[in-house]
Amino acid sequence: MSARSADAGYASVDLALAAGARTLLSGFTQAFRPGEMWCVAGPNGAGKTTLLATLAGLQAPAGGHVVVDGRPLGTWPGGQLAQRRALMPQQLHDAFSATVFDTVLLSRFPYLGGWGWERPGDRDAARAALATFGLSDLAGRDVLSLSGGERQRVALAAALCQDAPLLLLDEPLAHLDLHYQIDCLTALTAWLDAGARTVLFSCHDLNLARRFATHALLLDGRGRAWAGPVADVLTPERASDAFGYPLVLIREGGRDALLPAWPERR
Amino acid sequence: MSAARAAAIWAALAAAVAALFVASLTLGSVPMSPLDALASLVPHAGADALLGDIVRTLRLPRALAGFACGALLALAGALLQVLLRNPLAEPYVLGVSGGAAGFALVAMIAGSAWWFVDASAFAGALVSMLLVLGLARRELWRGELRDASPRLLLTGVVIAAGWGALVTLLLSLAPDARLRGIIFWLTGDLNGVAPPWFAWGALAFAALVALPAAPQLNVLLRGDATALALGVPVARLRVRIYLVASLAAAAAVTTAGTIGFVGLVVPHALRLAFGNDQRMLLPAAMLAGGGGVMAADLLARTVIAPAQLPVGVMTALVGVPVFLWMLLRKPMR
Repeated sequence: MSARSADAGYASVDLALAAGARTLLSGFTQAFRPGEMWCVAGPNGAGKTTLLATLAGLQAPAGGHVVVDGRPLGTWPGGQLAQRRALMPQQLHDAFSATVFDTVLLSRFPYLGGWGWERPGDRDAARAALATFGLSDLAGRDVLSLSGGERQRVALAAALCQDAPLLLLDEPLAHLDLHYQIDCLTALTAWLDAGARTVLFSCHDLNLARRFATHALLLDGRGRAWAGPVADVLTPERASDAFGYPLVLIREGGRDALLPAWPERR
Repeated sequence: MSAARAAAIWAALAAAVAALFVASLTLGSVPMSPLDALASLVPHAGADALLGDIVRTLRLPRALAGFACGALLALAGALLQVLLRNPLAEPYVLGVSGGAAGFALVAMIAGSAWWFVDASAFAGALVSMLLVLGLARRELWRGELRDASPRLLLTGVVIAAGWGALVTLLLSLAPDARLRGIIFWLTGDLNGVAPPWFAWGALAFAALVALPAAPQLNVLLRGDATALALGVPVARLRVRIYLVASLAAAAAVTTAGTIGFVGLVVPHALRLAFGNDQRMLLPAAMLAGGGGVMAADLLARTVIAPAQLPVGVMTALVGVPVFLWMLLRKPMR
């Protein structure tokens, strides 16, 4: 199995992931192409975070490797890679006060020139990223004073501000109200359509994934994975199997949703 | 924060430092005018030999040593607060001063010459630094996603506590005749300080190594994962910052004993006033810390003149209430 190609894009080749002695994923070969929005789904501990971190190059895989634009991930210098892919980690650290604007502006680090100060273009990029997620009014606020959902959207804006064509987002919708979840996914879809871009996000809401993602990667935490167009992967059968609880697909008026097949209430 | 604003902050602080420097040369038990004080820096015909002597051999070395130690401590504090991602970190938190104190006390109890006490202090600081580096090597060297800071901090704090016990033991064994000198050393004292060239050399080295990393430190503050994703070589940066902060603290302790609170309070005060951009903060901390210790030493040798207080008493007397106020005031903005 070889994904060696001149194709511009991200691909995993025979990738294996492990947590301790437990195999999370093995022999996983998959290309992530421009224009695709991938939802990484699976039960807790299935390896969603590990996969995103491995694709970002923060963690070495247990086996196999990742190819970026035809070159192995490990050969990319950190600065170049930071312009190629952005990662929004699940855990955020705010030990010190900082304004929302400065927090987002930090993502321009890969583009800083000789003396390490931002140029006007960097500030414009930060303002644009804040506007994308409706955060312009919060620009002057202290990040320590934000609610969980506001902080989460600031982190999303920061990832976008890095201006890399691949976004790896670990639980970007956590802490968000439903309408913000939909707003954020809509904004990401618009961002995706504006260039040769790819998004991978981990998510627990299968219905949002079915609605907004083009592709899905379902991990079952026991080493198996299904990848492909979202409608083929997030089916009631596969999702029931992966999550260990029966799910049914309900259709009504052109919309559909996966629901737990729980016992009827009397 | 922009480069222009940072430069304005540095210029204002540098002007304050210059004024404090002149005041340090001018004020004391022998009165003179600021112009006389400056003029007597350079020996020239027709100058008052006594004034020249006082300025050149007494006041100038103290002012220079005070500035260098304060700058080293504030820089080390600012760096460790970033490295440990902890606002309460200060230059001594990882045990550097404890090691220095332990070794220096042994030398003092043995009645060694001042240069041997200094050399012992520096050796002790290095031993403690390498001890923490060895024990926390996984936390410092591996760029894993797991947040390394709490374990590094704990390792350092435990080592520091061990040194503290050793110092208490040595104090209880020390002959009475030596206790006064030991207490002054432990509090931090610039009286009869050795020529400050070692501290200035350390300051130049620390600045050269630390300041270019300031943009990376801004990113490191946001967590290891974010820093790695933005292309910062986290593991290498952490070791570099740990080593330069420890060496800075070691050089300061070697020169003037354990002057407290400067490394904790100065970076915080600057952060509260001007924000937490390390590109501005690190040079500003050096200026403000240096000026702060120079001012504290000026007070220490003038408030109850002709008697002299250890400068560490002054920094602590001012530092404790200031720090409590910063800690207890409402969260900013």
